[in-house]
Amino acid sequence: MDVRVEGLVKRYGRVTALDGVSLAFPAAGLTAILGPSGCGKTTLLRSLAGFMPLDGGRILFGVEDVTALPPQARNTAMVFQQYALWPHMTVFDNIAYGLRLRKLSAAEVRARVEKVLDLVEIGRIAGVTERRPGELSGGQQQRVALARALVVEPRVLLMDEPLSNLDAKVRQRLRAEVRRLQKAVGITTVYVTHDQEEALAIADTVVLMDGGRVVQAGTPQDVYFRPENAFAAEFLGVSNQLSGTADADGLSVGTQHVSYSGPLRGPVTIVFKATDAILADSGVAADGRHAVLRGMLEERLFLGSAYRHYVRVEGESLMIDGAEPVDHGPVTVRVPMARLQIYAAP
Amino acid sequence: MAPQISRRPEARRPGHRPPRAGDPFKRWLSLGAAAPPLAIVVWLFFVPFLSSAHRSFLREGEWTLRNYALVWRLYKIDVLYTLGISLVSLVLVIGIAALLCGYLRLVGHRFVEFLFKIPLFVPFVVVGHGMRVLLAPRGTLNSALAQVGLIDLNDPPSIAFSWLGIVIALVWKNLALAVLLVLGAYRAVDESYLEAARNLGASTFRQIKDVLLPMSAPSLVVASAFMFTSMLASFSIPLMIGGGEPPHMLMVDVYYRINYQDDLGTANALGMVSYLLAMGVAGYYLRTITVKPA
Amino acid sequence: MDARLRAGSAFLALPSPGRTVARATLRMTGVLVAIFVIFAPLSSLVIWSFTRTWHWPHPFPQAMGFFYWRKVLEGDLFRALQSGLLIAVIVTVLTLLLTVPLAYLLARYPVPFKAAILLVFLLPHAFPQLPVFVNATTLLYRAHLAASLSGVVLIHMVGALVYAVWTMTAVFRSIPESLEEAAWNLGASRLKTFFTVALPLATPGLVASTLLVFLYSFDEFTGTLLVGSPFVLTLPVYMYRTSVGYELQVASIAALLLMLPGIALLVVLERYLKSEYLSMFGRI
Repeated sequence: MDVRVEGLVKRYGRVTALDGVSLAFPAAGLTAILGPSGCGKTTLLRSLAGFMPLDGGRILFGVEDVTALPPQARNTAMVFQQYALWPHMTVFDNIAYGLRLRKLSAAEVRARVEKVLDLVEIGRIAGVTERRPGELSGGQQQRVALARALVVEPRVLLMDEPLSNLDAKVRQRLRAEVRRLQKAVGITTVYVTHDQEEALAIADTVVLMDGGRVVQAGTPQDVYFRPENAFAAEFLGVSNQLSGTADADGLSVGTQHVSYSGPLRGPVTIVFKATDAILADSGVAADGRHAVLRGMLEERLFLGSAYRHYVRVEGESLMIDGAEPVDHGPVTVRVPMARLQIYAAP
Repeated sequence: MAPQISRRPEARRPGHRPPRAGDPFKRWLSLGAAAPPLAIVVWLFFVPFLSSAHRSFLREGEWTLRNYALVWRLYKIDVLYTLGISLVSLVLVIGIAALLCGYLRLVGHRFVEFLFKIPLFVPFVVVGHGMRVLLAPRGTLNSALAQVGLIDLNDPPSIAFSWLGIVIALVWKNLALAVLLVLGAYRAVDESYLEAARNLGASTFRQIKDVLLPMSAPSLVVASAFMFTSMLASFSIPLMIGGGEPPHMLMVDVYYRINYQDDLGTANALGMVSYLLAMGVAGYYLRTITVKPA
Repeated sequence: MDARLRAGSAFLALPSPGRTVARATLRMTGVLVAIFVIFAPLSSLVIWSFTRTWHWPHPFPQAMGFFYWRKVLEGDLFRALQSGLLIAVIVTVLTLLLTVPLAYLLARYPVPFKAAILLVFLLPHAFPQLPVFVNATTLLYRAHLAASLSGVVLIHMVGALVYAVWTMTAVFRSIPESLEEAAWNLGASRLKTFFTVALPLATPGLVASTLLVFLYSFDEFTGTLLVGSPFVLTLPVYMYRTSVGYELQVASIAALLLMLPGIALLVVLERYLKSEYLSMFGRI
């Protein structure tokens, strides 16, 4: 089912949590909503569920305007960050709750619960249905929460940072699981997260939000490789920012010069990712396809998967990741021109 | 951050402050401070409490079980009467509080919430008199109903001076405390549990029944135990509103036995019965909580 | 989506404006019922307080006014009010004097049998008071304290101590010890620190305890009835006597006066104090 929101507005006193948000969530697709804290992503999700009244805008499930409907009537299902599994009910009763409200027979309920337990791959655990949520691990609890949501076959599946409470390893594994399940069931899913790696990994569409507004929406590759503005460029990946001035001859970054053939003139922001730059000893010359900047290597940290170098260029501290360590001292930073994102400065 | 007053590890424990005071000093100081208030409670509660036991077996200076026999003969109906009224009142109080607080928690109504705090500050004696004036055969309620024609002036019903009057008074006064405690317990239930239920289709009533009540059950049991024992032991209300004819609530019986018959033995035997009832109820309820795993 | 589930889900969809109107009417009815329930007994008291004559079955008093107010303020009611206030003040002061140091020690020191001590103060409220106080009256009689002010003060304290001990212990426990340690560090003696640091910080608790104890004593009935008779009368006992004596105007005025401190406190508490303190009021 296609889901669309048009011009959503939500205010809390002086703060505007949603400032005219319009989006389309493709049917059967997983749309990840990404952004820093306070950007409005959770507010957006909760307004889809109906947990809060809006100050403006419409929500459409297919052709039906659900804006005025209470949560009970919308037929969405939410997976909560803290699972919200009722501790006084067994796993079975937790999952069966929505079905029982819909007045299905006991046999029907049992059949559907068992089917969904197999779907989330905990059906095989002996006696799992009779256990209480408190007796399960975090990963298992999250699967039960998923099962509870999926078993009622909602029109939209809403996920509120469902994996952020779990250990890093469990999170990695469950990520792939969530994607597999979503594709298997084919349900329109809206997935809120602050973890950009997670968003890029599992989503069909990534929506980047900031300050109650949509900054960019597109495929993961679109958003990562072709960010439309400085915020998007800066948010995704580990990014560096430099201020410069553009004119007909090229870019001036402080006292240094980089070739530039684009249309912008005046103050600009230059953004590139830590993994796109190459660090070399001083003395390497520029060529047409690379921007070359001179700087001072001040600090180096070992991350395991790479060395992170902190290089000071024209007063800014840049992060350059590389497989080989480079010694402290004067260095050259080379960035392929294609990987430099240049935006007009505000 | 470690306090800088001393480098010795024992200095960090609360209540220790080298080098002045040592352990024995603190212990004696504490017990010394505790002695006067404890003495009052011991002298005027514990000793009389034990005295009840003692006197319940005495009659005209002799050891006997006659007092208890008298209690059985004269007051067994009253025991049932007291238990019955307390039970009915408790069920009404908890029932109304459970639903009302569910509504207050899920939908909210600040004015009603404030209204139900008022009986907290009305002393039991005033409740007694107020209900008397309201519910008496010639009281204000009947007077108002008579104007509307619902009551026969020559034979007005007597709600006061009956078990119903006592129940109404006890419910009125205890509802305020129950609302406070139950609403507190409901508010301690995390919102996400309720949102999950709402999300799957639960109405307000179902959220109360399936989530709020089960998750705050221990608090409700404790509140019930407390209110039940206090209702069993109520004195001023049944004294003012209970009526002249038996049966009476137990405390009224004790009072009449002392005041009009000067019979300390039987009065104390009846008192012992009431202590046992109070302890029994409390013990039963508390055991039900501690048996269930958290 | 499965047809059966779809049918079930449609069942959950809430409909029509008609239902919203019905819900609003129900809400308004509920509020009116609540107002009636809470105010019916209280309004009867108010009406009777300002009544001069009222014969059954008229819906309203025939004559109203301050007649009985003038009458009682000169007579026994005023004496009962005075005694009650005096006793309440004495009880409050004595209780605080006895319990505040103890509460501080219970909060800070490793007192032996701490839990048992706290429990002892609670017991007078856990057991039926009347039979116990009947026997206590005999003890007081032997000590020549029955029917005297001191006797009543003592019997009030039996039940009042718990309010102060429990409240103040909790309050002192909640004050971080580091605040006192800072004072000792700078050279203040333990006693001076207590008066200049701990006690001022414990003020909300002190206020709560004072109010709770005062109200408990002012409203106390059972003990006063047994111990005070026949010479020492407080307002609750006076109210009881006049009520059963069918002097309804006088009794209602006494009832109103009894409620006044409570109502004033309700307003104060709504704004300032926490609900833990509130729940202790329900036991008065």
